[in-house]
Amino acid sequence: MRRNRWRGTILFTVILVVMGTTIGLKLYGLGETVAPQAGAAASPSALPSAGSTATAPATPSATSAAPSTTKVVAGVVEQTPYGPVQVEVTFDGTKLVGVRELQSPSDDRRSVSINRQASPILAKEVLASQSAKVDTVSGATYTSEGYKQSVQSAIDQL
Amino acid sequence: MQTQTMTVIATPRRVSARSVTAVMQRRRSRAVRVTLASGLLLVLWMWWASVPATFTSTPASVATTVGELSGMVGAYLVCAQVLLIARVPWFERAVGLDRLVSWHRSLGASVVFLVITHVMFIVIGGQLLDQNLPWTEFMLVLTRYPDMLAALIGTLAFLAVGLSSARWIRSKLPYEFWYWLHLTTYVAIFLTFFHQLSGGAHFVADPLNRILWIVLYLGTAAAVLTWRFVLPSIDGWRRRMRVVAVVQESPGMTSVWFSGKHVDELGVRAGNFLNFRFLTWGHLLTAHPYSVSRVPVDGQLRITVGALGDHSTMLRDLKPGTLVFAEGPFGHFTADHATRDRILLIAGGAGIGPIRALAEELTARGRQPVVLYRAHSVEHLALLAELQAMPELTVVPVIGRRSELGYDPLETVSMRNFIPDLHTWEAFICGPEGMAIRAEETLRALGMPRRFIHREELSLS
Amino acid sequence: MRYLESVMGIPMSIDIRDPGDHGDAARDAFAVLAAADARFSTYLTTSEVSAVNRGEVTADRYSDELREVIEIGTQAADQSGGAFRIRMADGRLDLDGVVKGWAAARAVETLERAGVHNFCLNAGGDVAVVGSPEPPAPWNVGVRSPGDPAQMLAVLAVADAAVATSGAYERGQHIVDGRTGETARGLTSATVVAGDLTTADVLATAVFARGLDGPDWARAHGARGVLALTDDGTLVIVGDLTFACPPKLPL
Repeated sequence: MRRNRWRGTILFTVILVVMGTTIGLKLYGLGETVAPQAGAAASPSALPSAGSTATAPATPSATSAAPSTTKVVAGVVEQTPYGPVQVEVTFDGTKLVGVRELQSPSDDRRSVSINRQASPILAKEVLASQSAKVDTVSGATYTSEGYKQSVQSAIDQL
Repeated sequence: MQTQTMTVIATPRRVSARSVTAVMQRRRSRAVRVTLASGLLLVLWMWWASVPATFTSTPASVATTVGELSGMVGAYLVCAQVLLIARVPWFERAVGLDRLVSWHRSLGASVVFLVITHVMFIVIGGQLLDQNLPWTEFMLVLTRYPDMLAALIGTLAFLAVGLSSARWIRSKLPYEFWYWLHLTTYVAIFLTFFHQLSGGAHFVADPLNRILWIVLYLGTAAAVLTWRFVLPSIDGWRRRMRVVAVVQESPGMTSVWFSGKHVDELGVRAGNFLNFRFLTWGHLLTAHPYSVSRVPVDGQLRITVGALGDHSTMLRDLKPGTLVFAEGPFGHFTADHATRDRILLIAGGAGIGPIRALAEELTARGRQPVVLYRAHSVEHLALLAELQAMPELTVVPVIGRRSELGYDPLETVSMRNFIPDLHTWEAFICGPEGMAIRAEETLRALGMPRRFIHREELSLS
Repeated sequence: MRYLESVMGIPMSIDIRDPGDHGDAARDAFAVLAAADARFSTYLTTSEVSAVNRGEVTADRYSDELREVIEIGTQAADQSGGAFRIRMADGRLDLDGVVKGWAAARAVETLERAGVHNFCLNAGGDVAVVGSPEPPAPWNVGVRSPGDPAQMLAVLAVADAAVATSGAYERGQHIVDGRTGETARGLTSATVVAGDLTTADVLATAVFARGLDGPDWARAHGARGVLALTDDGTLVIVGDLTFACPPKLPL
């Protein structure tokens, strides 16, 4: 990978998406049959309350009901300025077994956006003719005909 | 010195080293990335497996659990960041220190974000539960959980380190300040470790997670101690060198010659750089990465540095006999990576040093490279005589600033005029970042495949 | 200010960047060139060289200038191993390879003595530059592409030096390799950068006459740098050449 200014941002977006997908999936309980319960008061002791080291890990009462099938879920598509990012997550039952990038920003898009940014700036700095300005021309001794066709005559008439 | 240089060029000594093909290199680099990604997946799994089934029941619990995931991923990434630059031989051989530093930097943004998210969501979660104001909740979290004061100090340190490394802020800070602030990361990691195990819902009652986490941290600590401190110290002492001579190659470019008993054992190749520590006032505690400008021979090493800051001007005043410790060699900007027939070496400013060394090695191997040397004026040219003395080397110095020339020699049309079949060539670029990036973009635009474009990333900081 | 005049039948120009009016200096410089033409041209029956070639003047009656030019030419002939020569097969003097550069060098001296510090003299393709067109930039001296008069082979960045080019593309195969007696072979164009135009002009002709080993030879005989294009299209860069626009590398 060649170094580029936006890689950190892209990486962080990918991590964000992966985490978000993971949380989202857990939240919506795919592969589980737990429904969100109304109200906090239902079972306060079961909540992971702050500071308590006695929080029991979730007993698999809900999870045991889920059949051990493999489910593949495509996560939400994140639009970044450099292209869409999408991740696919695979579950075996309620276990996360795989994460895969479905779409990621392509290198070409990055360089296209860089070029589109850079071109107007370059054009300002650089003359239309892409070569050095010439003050004089050295060549084999001109005949008068040769001189008339040469760049030197153009320079001399400026 | 000039004559001595001429004689030496005639019989360069080739250091035998394993030659690595580009394909193997890419595979190894990918293996490292896969390992790191797998670690991330493992952390996600650890979180997933220990989330209570009822966590969806209230927004508070959701927030808290999200905060915990954020913290876990952040902590893992911090360990990954540290491991990447711990000089672990596997990483260094597979990826190369210059790119490892680049990856380390890329992770930085994510870590800062995750740490902030972690704190926010934990506080929000607690706030929703306790119906408190955010500030009250914040203080509550600090006092209720164990080891939180240490965690707070550590987190502030992390944020300071992260912010100070953001490109824009970094450019305004003096290097030493940034470096020492950065070192406090080790302390921060240590301080924040404890609250994770003692207060983290995913660790307190899950023995497997605890073990995995301790393994992660201990492993990172061990790697750092071994490869970042103990081994380099031992090696460094053994391989110490002394300054032999300081030569002004041109206004603004200085060469320093070093000599040491074990220099030839270092295995330095043309294009490599080393981390130098000079035993002089004010520079004792900082390491400077400089590329060699000559293939080392007879126990002598040479660097050629441009005046780019207070450290580079320090070099001009170095006294012969000064003790120097050098770590390395580092970098993959070497002749081994040259696979194509036609090679273009593009040098700008201080980049002429490693390019000149590469030219020497490539011509010694029977290649006929072309050197395109960009400089602001004739006075800024350095090492030109040495390049011109190399047989089979075509040297094309193009001088003048772009504004003076009225065009950019490194831009697509100019380069296509210069070498019409550039897409069949291979290129090594070394120079100021702006110039090097433009050159690379031009080469890509002209159809040179990315794997044949080699750019040296000189700065370690 | 740019001054143009036709001398020796060839358009010559002087580009003076010093502020103020230096018309007089330019006129004096052109006068020097015209005087050299009057003395050395083989096309003028009234020139000294023509008289010498007709046998009308003996060696002891040569003018100082003629002696000087012959001396320069003889030395060049020796050093080039005979590739460069000032006498044709039948013994007649042919000083064309020396005179233009020598005369242009004197014109440069005239300008410098008149107090002009930043100028560019182009005597039919022989170029001498002093100072800078716009400080701190050097003068950009283009090297004509042999194949196309509108194209440049390269653009050199030159300061306080002279650039002379030798080739067959303008006047045909007029340069002979004195060692073989045949027309020069091996190079299509040879450009020499040296400290003064006399040296540059002589060396350029000699390099072209010698062919493929010319560039390295010239480097050892006072050339700062040589840019040459061989007959089979290879580019040769020898010595200290700095470019404003790099040469097109052959495929």
